[in-house]
Amino acid sequence: MTDVHHIQVPLWYLPLLVLIPAVVAAGVVPWLSRQARARVVPEKDPDWSIPPLTDSRGQGISLIHRWDVRCKIVTMLAYSFAIASLSHLSAAVAALCVSLVVLLTSKVSFHKVMLRIFALGGFLGMLVVVMPLTVPANPGDTLLVFGSLDWLEVNLRGVILAATIAAKAMAIALLMEPLLSTAPLPVTLHGLSRLGVPDMAGQMVLLSYRYLHVFTHEARRMTAGMKARGFEKKTSLDTLRALGNFLGMIFVRSFERTERVFDAMQARGYKGRFPDPGRLQIQWRDILLTGVWIAAGTALVWFDWVKG
Amino acid sequence: MMHISDGVLPLSVTLGGYAVSAGLAAWSARRIHSRDLPKVAVVTSAFFVASLVHIPFGPTSAHLLLPGLAGALLGPAAFLSIGLGLLLQSILFQFGGITALGANAVMMGVPAVICGWFFQHFKGRTIARQAVTGGLAGALGTVLSAVFLAGLLMTGGEDFFGVAKIALIAHVPVIVIEGVVSGFTIGFLARVKPALLLPVRSFHD
Repeated sequence: MTDVHHIQVPLWYLPLLVLIPAVVAAGVVPWLSRQARARVVPEKDPDWSIPPLTDSRGQGISLIHRWDVRCKIVTMLAYSFAIASLSHLSAAVAALCVSLVVLLTSKVSFHKVMLRIFALGGFLGMLVVVMPLTVPANPGDTLLVFGSLDWLEVNLRGVILAATIAAKAMAIALLMEPLLSTAPLPVTLHGLSRLGVPDMAGQMVLLSYRYLHVFTHEARRMTAGMKARGFEKKTSLDTLRALGNFLGMIFVRSFERTERVFDAMQARGYKGRFPDPGRLQIQWRDILLTGVWIAAGTALVWFDWVKG
Repeated sequence: MMHISDGVLPLSVTLGGYAVSAGLAAWSARRIHSRDLPKVAVVTSAFFVASLVHIPFGPTSAHLLLPGLAGALLGPAAFLSIGLGLLLQSILFQFGGITALGANAVMMGVPAVICGWFFQHFKGRTIARQAVTGGLAGALGTVLSAVFLAGLLMTGGEDFFGVAKIALIAHVPVIVIEGVVSGFTIGFLARVKPALLLPVRSFHD
């Protein structure tokens, strides 16, 4: 444990190690992005922002759907923090497996889960590439050296560290879809406000979520107009000026719209709160599920701790 | 790239980030009339859409971070707006982890408030000067955010120093683009709707 181990690897391993991930990425990334673009406007997905008109229990199609929102939020957030605190690869992989099981039982849209994993790719990809090369060599570390290229040292501890972070991030990301889309957004926010989060915070999330779509449409219309006038994105000052004006126009319109939105809300009797989307009730099975889940989280943290 | 994902930061930093950003959000909310909070929410969605615009940069493209512009337009309310925007990015697209949300909000929101102060303090009266100050504020916002990002990553220990360095370097082109675009946007607003650039209220009727 005192020295840094060096493992000499023939030089031809290097292209192999670069080529295989490159080929895999070349195959997977276009497929994922095609999947992502295939449905930019989700047509069949139930709209998240609309409160349920009928009894919210009626849509219980899985265990997670029927779980009381308050229990669900508290449990999943506490569990996420527990996962984020793990420090061993084996514990992180176990957490990833737990998340996969939850995902399979919760019957959420697979497509949206894939989009989330795809969104993680950039940051995690950077970590996976950068960390093995930059982690300082501590006593006891193992370094891979490729042939005579002694400036290129791959630290295996960095590989493991990056893999652990990636596993933890994915384990939490996989839970986000079961956490958020198993109840309509207003119900989730209502649960949050019942847990003590200020009412206004939830209202602001709802409003900005709603207007996100309005401004996306507006931005799309403006882009169509710019294209019709022959605008083309290039790396040039003119492009930057056009985009600067484009952003300015979005802001002008949004600030004007806020006034109209607020007037319309007041005209409909807005007095600082929205109507509650239904009653929440905790039953014994909500508590049971919470207990099981917390036990799983505790077991993971304990396992991690036992390993040192 | 700019959003820290789950599982990177130590637990104390993520929890501390939540505590600090809750305090700052409360401060930010108190600086404006509670009547105006729904309006901040609507403006946030405009910033959200604006931050999705891709700016071509050579063979790749970058998307804007906009802390500088948000600060210039919203003043102290910018912290609230950015926290809300990051929450939406996290829950809708998984850009930035839910456990790292507090840290991400501090990283983007504090620079926004600083830039807002900077812009209001130095903007002067002419359109040209406002545009230049706006550009500087935009660049400053990105510089500060990148520095915060590097600092947060370095709380993970020596192992993360390399990542922090790479993250800083990767932001250099974004700083330039962000500054230029912010300058043009502020110049446009100074000509088209100067009321939005007034210090305290862009919200008043």
